This record gives sequence, C-alpha cells and structure tokens, in this order.
Amino acid sequence: MFKALADPTRRRLLDRLFEHDGLTLGELEAEVPELTRFGVMRHLTVLEGAGLVVTRKQGRHKHHHLNPVPIRLIYERWMGKYAHGLTGALLELKNDIEGER
Amino acid sequence: MTTSGPTTTPATTPATTTQVYQLYIRATPEQLWDAITNPRIVAKFFHGARVESTYEVGSTLRSLSPDGSQVWGDHTILECDPPRRLVHTWRSLYDPALAAEPESRVTWEITDQPGGFCGLTLIHDRLERSPRTAGSVRGWSYILSSLKTVVETGEPLPPMV
Repeated sequence: MFKALADPTRRRLLDRLFEHDGLTLGELEAEVPELTRFGVMRHLTVLEGAGLVVTRKQGRHKHHHLNPVPIRLIYERWMGKYAHGLTGALLELKNDIEGER
Repeated sequence: MTTSGPTTTPATTPATTTQVYQLYIRATPEQLWDAITNPRIVAKFFHGARVESTYEVGSTLRSLSPDGSQVWGDHTILECDPPRRLVHTWRSLYDPALAAEPESRVTWEITDQPGGFCGLTLIHDRLERSPRTAGSVRGWSYILSSLKTVVETGEPLPPMV
C-alpha cells in the first residue's frame, strides 16, 4: 500500500476519485493528460492491487471507486490507540465539568 | 482537502451515488456471515446498536439505540443468500434530515480468499437523491474496520474519535 501511495501520479488519481468517486478509465485519463492510456491503466492496476481502488462493472463501463478501508486500518493500527487515550481524557473532562453543574 | 465549494472539474455523474468498501478478514464465510447477522456481535461493531430481524426477504431490519429507546434505522431485507450475499434498503431515522431522504441500498458480498481469509465488499448505492445520507455513511470505514477487529480478536475497537 505504501508503495502504491509513494507515486505522485497515483496520489493524483486517488485525489481525483476522492473528489469524484466512480470514474471510468477515460475520465481518469483526462486528469493526467501527459500519460498514455496504458500508463494510466498501469497505475490503476497498482492502486487496485493495494486495495486502494476497487472496480465495479456497470453495463459497458468499469467504474473506479476509492476504497478508504485500508487507510482506516493503518490509522487504527498506529493512530487509534493514541486517539483513544485522548478521547478518554476528553470524556473524563466532560464528565467532570458536567458533574459540577 | 475538501469536497465542498466550487470545482472546476466538469460534472459527469454525482460524486457519491455509489460507495464501495472492501477489506479482507481472517475468518470463514460462515463466521463472517454470523458476525453481520448475529445481534450480539453486531452490537460490538455497530455503535452498540440493537438489531432485530428474521433476515427473511421482505422482513424489516431495525436498529435501535443500545437501551432500545430510539430507532436508529429501519431497513427492509431485499436478498439473503447465506453466507454470501445480503442486500437491504437503508433508511436512517436518528436524524430527521436523513429520515426525510429516499431509501438507499446496502449490499454485503462475501468471497473466499486463499489463506483462511474472506473478502468483504460493502456497496452503498442508490444515493442519488440522498446526499445527506451519502455524507453520513462515510463512517462505514470505521464500522468495517471494527467488524474486522471483532471477528479476528473478539473485541471491538475503541469508540470513534
């Protein structure tokens, strides 16, 4: 996944899907006019392999969807624990303040 | 980065009419199916919700607050093919603005994967006329991540920040 994210073109394609999910290959090609269709497909294959993009066929079109779950899992693994401590502290603060009223 | 405000990109299809979430979970399809249809387990990964359903096609799937005092969601089972595929409508009732929007649809698909894993794909679609709902259900990432943790370890994730 990190290798997939390491490339600026691939991050641009993900940014595009974040703004506008479910685009076709043709629509994504417009985002990176400097690349050939083959080049865009190659980048999309890497993103799909990393699970960051999921494709769904709908009629004749293949739509590309940004899959946020792998990034969420990374977040849970390394950030969630710290955030949990912070949440606990804030909840305690809330209880203290509200308990005093 | 923000999705709000004007954009220079040409309008094609609306941005959030179909949302797709996919992950791999170390479990058999049967274990995963049990986790998404067993109220005791659903409560662990879905904000403590109490769910009630027979999971028969046409029956309702209601989710209630943990103490049962509020109805959070009222859905209808459209397809049920254990342990592979569950489709139901989606209507949130915990917020009047969401309740006023048309129903959308949720599809759960379970596939076999090598190495003792299952693939789970959740598709939330028919959101064309339900933009608020589309925004509210972005929390699926957290729910599914929590589901994975519950199935693999028995314990849920800490509450969402």
